[in-house]
Amino acid sequence: MTNAVAGLGLAPDAAMVTFPIEMFLPGSDIGLVEARKQEFYDGLTRWRSPLAGAGAGEPPMLRVEGTSVEDTFARANHLMLSNRWGDGLPLWPPTRERVDWILRGTAEARRRKLGTFPPRGGVTTVESCAIALAMAGGRPEYLPVLVAVVEAFLDPESGSETLQAASGSAFPVVIVNGPIGARIRLNAGFGCLGPDPQRPAGASIGRALRLLQQNLGGALPGIGTMANYGGLRHTNVVFAEDEASLPAGWAPHGTERHGFAPGTSSISLAFANGAVNIRRRGAKKETPEEDALQGMHRMADFMRVPNMAGLAGYEHGTPGILMIPGVVAQTMVGLGWTKASIREFLWEHSRIPAEALRRAGGPAWIEIDTSKVVRESLALDPWPITAQPENFVIVVAGGGHPTNSYWLQGYSPGVVGRRIELPAAFESLLAEAERDLGPE
Amino acid sequence: MVRLEFHDPSGTIEIKRPHAARIPALAGKRIGFVSNEQWQAYRMLPLLKALLETDFPGIEVLPIDAFPQGNAVIGSEETAALVKASAVDAVVIGNAA
Repeated sequence: MTNAVAGLGLAPDAAMVTFPIEMFLPGSDIGLVEARKQEFYDGLTRWRSPLAGAGAGEPPMLRVEGTSVEDTFARANHLMLSNRWGDGLPLWPPTRERVDWILRGTAEARRRKLGTFPPRGGVTTVESCAIALAMAGGRPEYLPVLVAVVEAFLDPESGSETLQAASGSAFPVVIVNGPIGARIRLNAGFGCLGPDPQRPAGASIGRALRLLQQNLGGALPGIGTMANYGGLRHTNVVFAEDEASLPAGWAPHGTERHGFAPGTSSISLAFANGAVNIRRRGAKKETPEEDALQGMHRMADFMRVPNMAGLAGYEHGTPGILMIPGVVAQTMVGLGWTKASIREFLWEHSRIPAEALRRAGGPAWIEIDTSKVVRESLALDPWPITAQPENFVIVVAGGGHPTNSYWLQGYSPGVVGRRIELPAAFESLLAEAERDLGPE
Repeated sequence: MVRLEFHDPSGTIEIKRPHAARIPALAGKRIGFVSNEQWQAYRMLPLLKALLETDFPGIEVLPIDAFPQGNAVIGSEETAALVKASAVDAVVIGNAA
């Protein structure tokens, strides 16, 4: 519960009295408050931070010994799991050699501090990223992306402090733009959100971010994060926009949302709490116009839900990330649609009638929101799921097939972008990757 | 034997926000509550107020609604200023779950 409180903005080591979740439910027996009143009294009078004096010096290197390579590897994994440093899947022990190898992916000083990971407050450095990437099976050429992602994550605008603790099972979504995506084999096509042995970059980078969220940030299930379900958290979501398939006149996401010049390698970070595949195309003899329009209605229908967690991004964030394949984007442009008109359509047709919102208890959540814009939106009928059409993130990604689109429902106070900085020796890292992974 | 040495991935901790000094005793002190009105705070905090008033002679516990309530406002500078101006010796903040 400690970190859940920190999600409200308190220090992770603040004096707290914690109770089982049952006591926080409607109609609960609150007798424990009296039974444990002394803990409140002590918190006001005698308490001292358990972290007082902490933070001095680096932790020592860990050592394991085994009877064989396999035995030693297993012991290292058991040590990491028993210390709650893993995700349950096998980990690469972050040896000095492996971490130094990963650090070849940056020209930055290994001790450069990127911030402190909320809510636990773990000091986050370039080396921290390399350690996590080593554990996640990553490679040096992924490190510049991870460093940019972590910088964005630690930006207060991202809302990561709440994300880390909240019950909403949100997960980071990273969209990569620019040439680096293809160069490090970050998938933008078929199966771009799933495992791919020839394109493992997204899984490794996302897994490393997850390990940082836990190991430095303290977001452990039921202890630091109250996420009911925690879906998609093994690897989070990391993919590249399929810029080669962008229709004429469509700017890359990094340019459109963050203002980076086209061709700039960059990341864009948002948070989502849902993921759903949408059967987009028609099934019979629809005309191209009917096929496009029906698909648009079907996508808007998936968005027309009282996602109260999404209120966090109502004003400046995003209601979600819509992924559409390049072949669909190009077809729609051929029919006269623009990205702006797609957004306008989705915004208009995802609005929720006030009566439907009322019966779902939506107004209570809207009334207590911190944003005046959100509170004032309650006067609108039908109620728009986001303040403006521009908040929808639309990216071209996924296999070259027209049947499906994908909706990552937002839980994202902000959408934060960062430029990716590459080391001078980047080309040699790519040559090594080609050697290790084989031709693509 | 095969030996393996590797980094501790939990790193170091940095404490950025110092905590207020504790008060030596509760008797005769002025205590406030800052409530987000979530998670049964409307029941639990009044109970705690009553317990404090029973157990400590001369204690003054401000009403639960003495300060703005709700997640939207309890973290604001305005609320912090009101708490400070009220001259309370300590505050209890709740509830999170």
